[in-house]
Amino acid sequence: MEQIVLDHVVKEYWVTKKKKGLRGALINLIHNEKVKVEAVKGISYTITKGEIVGYIGPNGAGKSTTIKMMSGIMTPTSGQIYINGMSPHDNRKKVVKDLGVVFGQRTQLYWDLRLGESFELLKRIYKVGDEQYESALKELTDVLDLAGFIDIPVRQLSLGQRMRGELAAAMIHSPDILFLDEPTIGLDIDVKHAIRNFILEINKRKDVTVILTSHDLDDVMKLCNRLIVINKGQVVEDGPLEDIVTRMANYRMINLELADPVTEIHSPMVEIVKAEGRKIWCKFDHHLYTAAEVIADIGKEVSIVDLSVKEPNIEDAVANIYHC
Amino acid sequence: MWESIKHYFSVFAFSAKLALQSELEYSSYLVCWLFMIPIQIFSGIYVLKVIMERIGTLNGWTFGQVAFLYGLGVFSHGFQDMFFIQTRHIEYYVIQGEFDRMLLRPMGVFFQFCIGTVNLCGIFDLVPGAIIFWYGCKEVGFRWTAENAFLIIVVIIGATLIQAAIYTITGSIAFWTKKSSVFVGVNLELFDKTTQWPMVIYPKWFIRFFSFLIPMGFVSFYPVCGLLGISSGIDMPIPIDLAIWTPLVGIIWFIGGKTFFNRGLRKKYESAGS
Repeated sequence: MEQIVLDHVVKEYWVTKKKKGLRGALINLIHNEKVKVEAVKGISYTITKGEIVGYIGPNGAGKSTTIKMMSGIMTPTSGQIYINGMSPHDNRKKVVKDLGVVFGQRTQLYWDLRLGESFELLKRIYKVGDEQYESALKELTDVLDLAGFIDIPVRQLSLGQRMRGELAAAMIHSPDILFLDEPTIGLDIDVKHAIRNFILEINKRKDVTVILTSHDLDDVMKLCNRLIVINKGQVVEDGPLEDIVTRMANYRMINLELADPVTEIHSPMVEIVKAEGRKIWCKFDHHLYTAAEVIADIGKEVSIVDLSVKEPNIEDAVANIYHC
Repeated sequence: MWESIKHYFSVFAFSAKLALQSELEYSSYLVCWLFMIPIQIFSGIYVLKVIMERIGTLNGWTFGQVAFLYGLGVFSHGFQDMFFIQTRHIEYYVIQGEFDRMLLRPMGVFFQFCIGTVNLCGIFDLVPGAIIFWYGCKEVGFRWTAENAFLIIVVIIGATLIQAAIYTITGSIAFWTKKSSVFVGVNLELFDKTTQWPMVIYPKWFIRFFSFLIPMGFVSFYPVCGLLGISSGIDMPIPIDLAIWTPLVGIIWFIGGKTFFNRGLRKKYESAGS
């Protein structure tokens, strides 16, 4: 079932161009130049129920803008968005009922309230029945380990605690879509793991559709089956994670430590990326040769002390895409 | 419809409780206002008393009548302070992207905005207001019939809505300009000068301007004229010196304020940051 549909979505802003200095400031009073900035330039995609989609791109690519348009906070300049068949702009209240949203950069919780009180207010806002609330809260408390700080005011929570609280708050009304905008930003490895497990858990158990933006590619690797990469407001890649990684990082790295320093290798199978004394890094196309063949071939000209072979790396792939 | 009212009311009640709770968390700042506001209010009426002792009456108004009006004006100001203080800070909400959170909830944004804050400082207006009003009632021999009590209640509600509406409208300009806090000071000053003094001291064009273009006159001047049987001196085809106009004007302006707010939010709100 197609749950989220974006059809040629465009978002433009008008930014006033300010001239510098006092002279500029005086000129600005009379005449200011407005510049049109296209944050999102015609994005289209569809997402099916139960998918976990990694929505990635460099800073300023338009990720947050898209998330805000999908959740009804911003209105697209043109194009259509449908969430469960409805436009978030025209049917905001209906659409957000089935939506959970977490912005890592800013809290959705009530600053002065105890975490548990925020949940209770949300229970009333979303008209969650007592039984459903109790069971949802119990489950969230278990998975996210909230018990230790549910009675502490939000402003006194650590970042990791707060983020777990944010996730729970976004799920208390059991939405079937979850938007996560950098949920792991600034978190330590344990909290990251907890959050990843939580996302996988709710996806598996309740078939919740998840859209995740993150600069932490580890998050994306561990969670997402599909990747949508945007850059400069446009979708540049959309497909299964492995496809993109293998296509964009279409090689493997082999790191060698040699008995003697060398600067070049004549084997046609590899290409040297970097050489530093007795250490060299080369890449090879693993569709053409196996690692064993490559090593055997290099071994004919130099004597290898130690070696390691690296898998295609998502970071290389993403860097390739961003620089296109 | 009934379901929806119940839903909104349950959220309102719980959120008022929470707002009160978080207000009590910062109790020390309340203490400052505890001294500030009553001094301000009592000194305001004291200045009027000193002036009136010299000149006898204020265009025919006795001090008792002035105290009655002053007390009523302070009352609605207090309620406005208590329940709608956030309408003075719309600029901040716009610039900081504070409406994002409300837009993500399946309820009206204006409703969530209105119920989000309870400002206990309002009480410090209400207590001196009540004392001055009580004194005024005694002086003018105000009769507490059921009808009069009802009128007083609806006048206070209407006057509170009028003030909230004016702050909402001027504040919502920030959706277009990103700045609107300049109006807060202007509004405060205008309300002081038009709702706590009988408007008879001003020229007719001024009174008309602040009645029919900006409804300040309905906050306390006309209703008090109606309740105490004084003529406002403003001739209209239909009688204007009636207490009942205040709630009507209040409701109309409040709906207008909400409409203007929502227009700005839908057309111009741009969130903030990433």
